[in-house]
Amino acid sequence: MNDDDATLAREALRADIARLAKGDRAALEPIYRATSAKLFGICFRILGDDREAEDALQDVYIDLWKRADRYDPSRASPISWLACMARNRAVDRLRAGGKVRAGAVAEDAASDVPDGELPADAKLELDERDAGIHHCLGKLEKRQRGAIRRAFFGGATYVQLAEDDDVPLSTVKSRVHRGLAALKKCIERL
Amino acid sequence: MTDPIASPTELSDQETLAAELVLGLLGGEDLLRARGMLARDPAFSADVARWEDYFAPLLEQWEDHAPPPAVWKRIEAATASGSDNTAPVVDLDSLRKSRDRWRFIGGFSVAAAAALALVLLTGPAIQQAAPVPTADAPLLAANIPIGETPLRLALTYVPGREELSVSSAGLTPDGVHDHELWLVDRQGDLHSLGVIVPGGEARFAVAADLASEFGAGTRLVLTREPLGGKPADAAAGPVVAEGVFQVI
Repeated sequence: MNDDDATLAREALRADIARLAKGDRAALEPIYRATSAKLFGICFRILGDDREAEDALQDVYIDLWKRADRYDPSRASPISWLACMARNRAVDRLRAGGKVRAGAVAEDAASDVPDGELPADAKLELDERDAGIHHCLGKLEKRQRGAIRRAFFGGATYVQLAEDDDVPLSTVKSRVHRGLAALKKCIERL
Repeated sequence: MTDPIASPTELSDQETLAAELVLGLLGGEDLLRARGMLARDPAFSADVARWEDYFAPLLEQWEDHAPPPAVWKRIEAATASGSDNTAPVVDLDSLRKSRDRWRFIGGFSVAAAAALALVLLTGPAIQQAAPVPTADAPLLAANIPIGETPLRLALTYVPGREELSVSSAGLTPDGVHDHELWLVDRQGDLHSLGVIVPGGEARFAVAADLASEFGAGTRLVLTREPLGGKPADAAAGPVVAEGVFQVI
């Protein structure tokens, strides 16, 4: 897909979400067609199970139908919004199933996020925005990066991070806070 | 090893909270506070959106994976009828207006629990609620502990039947308060499930459009209200207990 196609697809998706928000249920199908493979990929990657991922995906679109009005059309990317919804529903299911164990699911799910800098050829494949978060996560101190990843990919809360690392809650919180501050600074500088 | 970034600038409390919400790090009262801010505070929701946009490329890098056609059929069925989103909801905000109310939860005492006149259940009768409609929809149950007391409220939901059974055996009314049970939906809004009938098994009909919100992990809260439940023109009362549905 070239840039123009990507822009058109994004605008079509934005328009469909706006229609859905106004109660036009017919808009759900084109949204599903355009996004379900992407969102199912996310659910599957986090949950590691087809059945669970299907249930999570179903939750995502039912949520979307009910709450499409919560999408802010001024946001840069409707797919980012949907991707985060899918991640949230998948993580909800991880938690409900008692599968949140940092170091297990979390690290597996995050395994293709490199520890350090991306290799040069991988960098070329990513657009500027993608490279931003990858590059900046890679720049974080290892424990900060690990905590942020285990939360985002594996659904670990502060309490779980503290238990897994066997450190006080306050230590984990300040570690994450420092990581987030560094991340923001790095991303905004790019 | 890469070099850590030196001396990062501090984030504001709000920016930090927004990032914590996006990462799913929050629990309990912090989570409810953040969800409330998301609903009412445009500056905070802009912070949340920014963090989502920062992190989303990590999700979008993954390979597409086409779901089986049955998923769309289920979504179509679930959104086909009775799914207009006009049912009244109470924003959790109304529960948060007074910080004191939330402190009340944390500081819930045995004496306060006694004032609720909730009596220990001897055994929740939750297993007889067969038949289970499909393998896709297992029975859900929640045991809601009341404060730091051994008191519990037992709930069972049979998917497909759109009915919730609430066991409050042994509970006696105090003549001054009722307790209302609420489902917290995925967006953090509250939906009333009904007023607890002290002392027995009650069955609450569940609105069709709410049924999709019932699932493992769905949160429930119990509030203390005037007799008859929350008046339409009043904010919901203090939360006195919380629980989560689990598959049984």
